[in-house]
Amino acid sequence: MAQFPLVSNFQGDFVLQMLPVDTEFTMDQVAAEAARHSVGRRVAARPGSVMRVRRQGSNELFSRGLTVAKANLRPMECIEVIWEPASAGR
Amino acid sequence: MALLERMDWYDLARTTNWTPTYVKESELYPPEMSGDFGIPMSEWEKYDEPYKTTYPEYVKIQREKDSGAYSVKGALERSKMLENADPGWISVIKAHYGALARPEYAAASAEARMARFAKAPGQRNMATMGMLDEIRHGQIQLFFPHEYVSKDRQFDWAFKAFDTNEWAALAARHMFDDMMSTRSAVGIGLMLTFAFETGFTNMQFLGLAADAAEAGDWTFASMISSVQTDESRHAQIGGPLVPILIANGQKAQAQRMIDIAFWRSWRLFSVLTGPMMDYYTPLKDRKHSFKEFMQEFIVNQFERSILELGLDRPWYWDQFLEELDYMHHGMHLGVWFWRPTVWWNPAAGVTPEERAWLEEKYPGWNDTWGKAWDVITDNLLQGKRELTYPETLPVICNMCNLPIAATPGEPWKVRDHALEHKGRWYHFCSEGCQWCFEQEPERYEGHMTLVDRFVAGMIQPTDLNGALKYMGLAPGEIGDDAHGYAWVEHFRQKPRAAA
Repeated sequence: MAQFPLVSNFQGDFVLQMLPVDTEFTMDQVAAEAARHSVGRRVAARPGSVMRVRRQGSNELFSRGLTVAKANLRPMECIEVIWEPASAGR
Repeated sequence: MALLERMDWYDLARTTNWTPTYVKESELYPPEMSGDFGIPMSEWEKYDEPYKTTYPEYVKIQREKDSGAYSVKGALERSKMLENADPGWISVIKAHYGALARPEYAAASAEARMARFAKAPGQRNMATMGMLDEIRHGQIQLFFPHEYVSKDRQFDWAFKAFDTNEWAALAARHMFDDMMSTRSAVGIGLMLTFAFETGFTNMQFLGLAADAAEAGDWTFASMISSVQTDESRHAQIGGPLVPILIANGQKAQAQRMIDIAFWRSWRLFSVLTGPMMDYYTPLKDRKHSFKEFMQEFIVNQFERSILELGLDRPWYWDQFLEELDYMHHGMHLGVWFWRPTVWWNPAAGVTPEERAWLEEKYPGWNDTWGKAWDVITDNLLQGKRELTYPETLPVICNMCNLPIAATPGEPWKVRDHALEHKGRWYHFCSEGCQWCFEQEPERYEGHMTLVDRFVAGMIQPTDLNGALKYMGLAPGEIGDDAHGYAWVEHFRQKPRAAA
């Protein structure tokens, strides 16, 4: 377990933000932590949607249970947190 | 005895080059200070300044200018402007003084470098007066706000800002150091006087003077108009360098320096002047939108100037034009959301009437920026002010030192432009800022943004209080909403859907 800084680019928000997480966080936990700084502050919640994480510029979503430690991310790498309709959830 | 007319002796009097015998020319004019580009002295001597003035004329006119500005100040000292003006306007002048008063002294130093090291005698002559101009601008813009310091500590930042690590001051210092303090006489001529002053000071000193007059702040209006009359003279130092550089095969160098300085100036004005004009200035007092002022002073006038001189539009021109629609909205939202970290009180500027104006000036504003302000407004209406403050830092661009921001909502244009250089990752807000870095990485690579410093553990404790302490913001100085959130009440009376 260790602190790990990421950069959060949250869908619909206007600014990149520092996102300190833990290396043992799953991608669902990363998304929830990113949401804490965007949703309900400048981005309206989307009930019924699931938040998913991907590298900036990638179309491939990280699996929801993947940990930060195993995602091969580098410190201060920019991740995008996007909304996915619940019906599309995997 | 009859005196000669000025133009009968001007050329002779300013032809002050000579052939040194005790030292080499390269010692008298070191290339790193003069910026000679291998161009022979005889070519620099062709420099012909478009605005010719002599020292006696200069002193006479400057004395009249100072008398005018100080007289207006004296006459209006009891007008209670500070007590009566809209708080949004007060924020305009606080931000202005903090961001610009001290850089005027840096500009005096830059002009002094041209006055000493320029190889073109005419450039040295103009810069001597430019140096005196900038000393005047530093003094007048520190003296005028000084009377307000005893009433409002944020005015102390007119002097203090540049001695701190406050983020906006860091951004301004990084840019001004780049174009004023660390360039040759030719570089300063092109970057400071041509790109920054020809292009942008009109925006701040004429555009804002118009708003000041409408807002009833005649003291500020007359002071910055007075400053601008100097700017419009010494801004002409850079232009005559361009034909010399082009004729001697250095067009690409001239273009590169101007393109860097123009881009960097645009970024700073998007955070400083944009919010002032489109959000802080009371709606009834706004002469034009920021975009309209930019189109008048920059898109039309500056573009014409560079083309007339034989240069090209900067490669990023289309991107710059596109950004006129959104960049400053992001800077404003960022400044307001992180408002404890600035030395002024940002005015939200989003009442229903103001939103209607923004939508008219920037079609689509309600569906993008408006969505973010909807969430903020709802939180304030519901008494959840804590959710209108941040709990983390925005990521800062390694060139402009400003938040990496762009249009929110459906378009969602925010992107990190990341670059690995010598094993370190740099983050940029745009291709423009990344391009500036790549032109001369060794110039910029060692600088740490506020976020870099945070990650490196230089800011302790790692929370808002630690950040405020690091930035030098004391109680009584930290920013808050200019109107004490009174604007939110408009939404209790008028549903946002009608905006």
